[in-house]
Amino acid sequence: MLISASEAGYFQQLARGAVITMELAVSGYILALIGGAVVGLVTLLPNRAIQAVWRVYASIVMGVPSLLVIFLFYYGGGTLLGGIIDITPFEAGLTALVVVYTVYVAELVRGAMRNVPRGQFEATAALAIRPVGAWLHVIMPQVVRLALPGLVNIWMIVLKDTALVSLAGLNDLVSHAKTAAGATKEPFIFFIAAALFFVVFSAVTLRFSARLEARFGRGLAVAKA
Amino acid sequence: MSGTAPLPAIMIAGLDKFYGGFHALKHIDLEVRRGEKIVVCGPSGSGKSTLIRCINRLEPHDSGRIVVNGIDVNDASSNIQDVRREVGMVFQSFNLFPHLTILENCMLAPRLALGMKKAEAERLAQRFLDRVHIGEQAAKFPAQLSGGQQQRVAIARALCMEPRIMLFDEPTSSLDPEMIKEVLEVMEELADDGMTMICVTHEMGFARRVASRCVFMDQGEIVEIAEAAAFFEAPRSDRLRAFLSQILH
Amino acid sequence: MPFDPSLAWDSLPRMLFGLANTVGITALTLVLGLAMAIPVTLARMSPRRIFRLPAAWFVMFFRGTPALILMYLVYYGLAQLPSIHDGPLWPIFANAFACAVIGLALNHASYLVEILRGGLEAVPAGLVEASAALGISPRQTYQWVRLPLAMRYALKAYQNEVIGFTKGTAVVGVITVVDLTATANEVFERTYDPVTPMLTAAVLYWCLINLMRIGFEFADRRLNRHLAAEEQRRRKPVAASLQPALARWTGLAAPNTERAL
Ligand SMILES: Nc1ncnc2c1ncn2[C@@H]1O[C@H](COP(=O)(O)OP(=O)(O)OP(=O)(O)O)[C@@H](O)[C@H]1O
Ligand SMILES: [Mg+2]
Repeated sequence: MLISASEAGYFQQLARGAVITMELAVSGYILALIGGAVVGLVTLLPNRAIQAVWRVYASIVMGVPSLLVIFLFYYGGGTLLGGIIDITPFEAGLTALVVVYTVYVAELVRGAMRNVPRGQFEATAALAIRPVGAWLHVIMPQVVRLALPGLVNIWMIVLKDTALVSLAGLNDLVSHAKTAAGATKEPFIFFIAAALFFVVFSAVTLRFSARLEARFGRGLAVAKA
Repeated sequence: MSGTAPLPAIMIAGLDKFYGGFHALKHIDLEVRRGEKIVVCGPSGSGKSTLIRCINRLEPHDSGRIVVNGIDVNDASSNIQDVRREVGMVFQSFNLFPHLTILENCMLAPRLALGMKKAEAERLAQRFLDRVHIGEQAAKFPAQLSGGQQQRVAIARALCMEPRIMLFDEPTSSLDPEMIKEVLEVMEELADDGMTMICVTHEMGFARRVASRCVFMDQGEIVEIAEAAAFFEAPRSDRLRAFLSQILH
Repeated sequence: MPFDPSLAWDSLPRMLFGLANTVGITALTLVLGLAMAIPVTLARMSPRRIFRLPAAWFVMFFRGTPALILMYLVYYGLAQLPSIHDGPLWPIFANAFACAVIGLALNHASYLVEILRGGLEAVPAGLVEASAALGISPRQTYQWVRLPLAMRYALKAYQNEVIGFTKGTAVVGVITVVDLTATANEVFERTYDPVTPMLTAAVLYWCLINLMRIGFEFADRRLNRHLAAEEQRRRKPVAASLQPALARWTGLAAPNTERAL
């Protein structure tokens, strides 16, 4: 299949859309990481009220499709904010992704914290290591190691979920692919191109995460054998 | 099977085994008579596990012959199944099936490999569980038992196939001291009943009491074979002397 | 204008119809995905490259591609190919509902392959050996030891995947299938009230997802009851001990921590 001049133009648009997709995915993921880490730690505090609120909130967010959350923020966002400002697709999408994935990251952090053996806390205390040092050098590295596979997983899901924001009018990769498919009557090639973008990125992620896991997992293989 | 020279339980001749380029077993010859109890010991990595795993073909060997109760241990899958029905095995790590109860663990092989009916298999399993003194626990899952109890179940599970030969690969090595005794007692009862046994173990008291002959392995070779008394009191080779002085302090 | 209860009530029958479509798509995808995943898993674990590589590509492509693009690809993209358009299967690919199920099933299957593989590989080699040593044939060992254990190991991951893709079915609206999300959109377009239909749909999704979760937990308790005793022994002290330790370490709240550092 030869690519005509006009199709080449569409591919340029696709590339511009891909940049927007990446911006959304990266900023959404980073904000969710920060939010999730904070929320995860705060909700581990031994406070009944915090625990109860968290359980209800997490259950709601995790029980609803992210597409619905995106729609809610996009169509309902202005209304909910009192109808003063119009919310852009990018803002709506970003807010929705951050709201949803903060919860997933937080749950992951909570799980990882719970799986750091108690002895590690006690050992640092017994060695008279100060809390800050213990956190930085002993606890956090283990939490990161335990949470790493899950964090990679969440990144892949966030990346793929950005595609949904095209349905709220964002001119991202998917929406350009759809336009090009309609205009050229060549849907197959443009949708395959869009798919390959995501496939390549997730393949790269898996490569990279295997390395990271090996790095953070040093000393683990020996213990297993 | 009658005659002047009764068929040996196990006949191993000129056995070689390689892992890639690594020569794990070097020309092993060993004959085990019916009812004999052989204790195998030797330093870590000397090939003890590899040797007994070749006998029931958990590891295929590269050259030489292994004959178990007249069955040639070779590639033929019918032979492999036949040999495995004759030979029971107990592992260091128990290897009980965690999703099955104790009773079901014991019933699985009779039902699948011998096509036994459920009720009959149940009776059989209960009988052997009673024999290893754990019959009351039949309905529990392996994770609910102590290590020593699990290992006794593993022995019962193997006995349910009514094998003529039992292989033990360090059956007490992962047990706490107070549990070692209960497992060794069961093994001694088995020995008293006339079972042909090959035990890889470093329990020297057990070896003295039970072994007909002791085998010392080092670097893939059988260095010395002797009756228990001679083995411990008058070791011939330096390597065995050094080994014994290490484990007996 | 926040939530409007009377609109929610009036639109409920339509919403329930949308929910029924969502459930139907989910159920069909579940079955079709499993049917696809089994042969691909066997190929993926085969020692022979000619089977293993295509299976790996299948997983990489369908796992990496967003369900939304798969919808477009199956519904619009395949229609462009003459072999599909003029082939015997055209009635299927001309049907939006069928395309939605096929696209989602491909996605689901690719995840399932990795889950099944993970479960099968997690079965300790010692158990398979123990079974072999008892004279149980390889096929029977697979059927009675390896597969049952793999299913138990994989259950949690399977639950997450099924719940994840159930929420993911919300994209089928883009190829004209009227599921719960699409119904909420229709109500919004008719009434210009976005909040009420979206929240109503959210409640229904929440109920569906949590029903599924309860179902999975029931299955988990049944299948993994052999672990219950062990779990109790292991879990309790750690979880209970963590919270004071945490409070101490964060220094944010230190209710009754006598132990000084
Ligand atoms: N699957 C394998 N692949 C490669 N080498 C192996 C394998 N299994 C065993 N070996 C090697 O073969 C040698 C003998 O191993 P084996 O397990 O038989 O020793 P062992 O006498 O039972 O030792 P231990 O007392 O530690 O159980 C060792 O050097 C080991 O590293
Ligand atoms: Mg060994």
